[in-house]
Amino acid sequence: MSNRRLTAFIDALVIGRRPRRFLAKAEDVEVLRTAIALRAERPGDAIPDEQFVSDLYEKLADGARSLPAPNIRVMKMRRSRVALVGVAASAALVGGTAAATEAIVRTPAPATAIRAPFGTTLRTGTFVTAHSRVMGQIVAYRGRPSWIFMNVDGSNYTGRIVCELQSEDGSTVAVGHLSVHRGMGQFSRTIKEDISRLRSAKLITPRGQVVASATFI
Amino acid sequence: MFSAPQTSPKVFSARPPASGGDAACLRVLSPDVYTDWESVYRDNIRRLYGLMYARVGNRPDAEDLTSEVFRTALRPLRLPSSKGEVRSYLLLTAKTVLASHWRRRLGLSVTSIDEESDLAYFNETSGLDQPSDAPNRAGRILAALPDRYRRILELRFLETCTIKEAAHTMNISINNAKVLQHRALRMAAKVALEMES
Repeated sequence: MSNRRLTAFIDALVIGRRPRRFLAKAEDVEVLRTAIALRAERPGDAIPDEQFVSDLYEKLADGARSLPAPNIRVMKMRRSRVALVGVAASAALVGGTAAATEAIVRTPAPATAIRAPFGTTLRTGTFVTAHSRVMGQIVAYRGRPSWIFMNVDGSNYTGRIVCELQSEDGSTVAVGHLSVHRGMGQFSRTIKEDISRLRSAKLITPRGQVVASATFI
Repeated sequence: MFSAPQTSPKVFSARPPASGGDAACLRVLSPDVYTDWESVYRDNIRRLYGLMYARVGNRPDAEDLTSEVFRTALRPLRLPSSKGEVRSYLLLTAKTVLASHWRRRLGLSVTSIDEESDLAYFNETSGLDQPSDAPNRAGRILAALPDRYRRILELRFLETCTIKEAAHTMNISINNAKVLQHRALRMAAKVALEMES
């Protein structure tokens, strides 16, 4: 079965279509890598279609118009730190988890930034409201034990909020409560769940209203 | 069109004296700094797409992944930031996005992004259609194959022949062409591994 799927994958590559997913075997990897390298040699295809470039620009511009001022600044990374994150990402490939972007939250004072630990596998998500407003960050990292860190900022809400973590199959795998005061709150806890299986997080009021959601990358 | 940083990134701030009260600060930006997201996009979209294309080998996936990188990276980006910082950040995001792609698509990693070599490609001013060493590597692999193996792969991957057309050109049956392609790819993969070791 795998051979047939592998052949179908390669056939799709040859004709420039999106290959279908299948569970590849380790011994297929080098064949697939070689097929991709050969396909990538075809002249001209490495240049993006101008329609795609302008369409994506329009979409991003629409998104930028609906966003508040950004609150995250790219972190100045030392070479060693880049390497550490790289190691995390490489490990993620084996474990099935993606290391995420590295950033420092810079919110207006007196918001507190959560520094994510490095040197282990990280996943992050940004809490966004239904109106595309950034409301906080969540960071998961694999360790012994694994941890979830999150902070909430940017609303006038005061009270308790429930944070639910969903796995890839949509089931709720962890729940935590945090107190939010004038829109600000923080939360951290250990989790038993494999963080590679986390798909999203939701912030929900005690009445069940979803305030914001984040997708792990 | 694509200007690479020539010097280390710098942001200069010329601030008024403390007694200046509420006088406005003058902020002089180095040319190696991005001040708006449009510049980030214009300057990196083609490089990023080319990089993704070299890693997935097909246009639809390369476009989706490129979009995902920009959607993910631009939202939290605070500008002005140096080109070096922004490109490192884009590349790190791209690495993550590509890893997720392979996990979803095949359950294991097939290709990846290397910060050092790929950042060098990002900062190059020429050779936009040749990310990494993929084309050279492919050429070397093909050159190391027996004639019939090389020919079937050239017909299929470089000349876009269907398996039927490739079989006709090589004067063999379609089934033979399939088997030949399979064996040729296996041998090419072996050659590639030997090249790395």
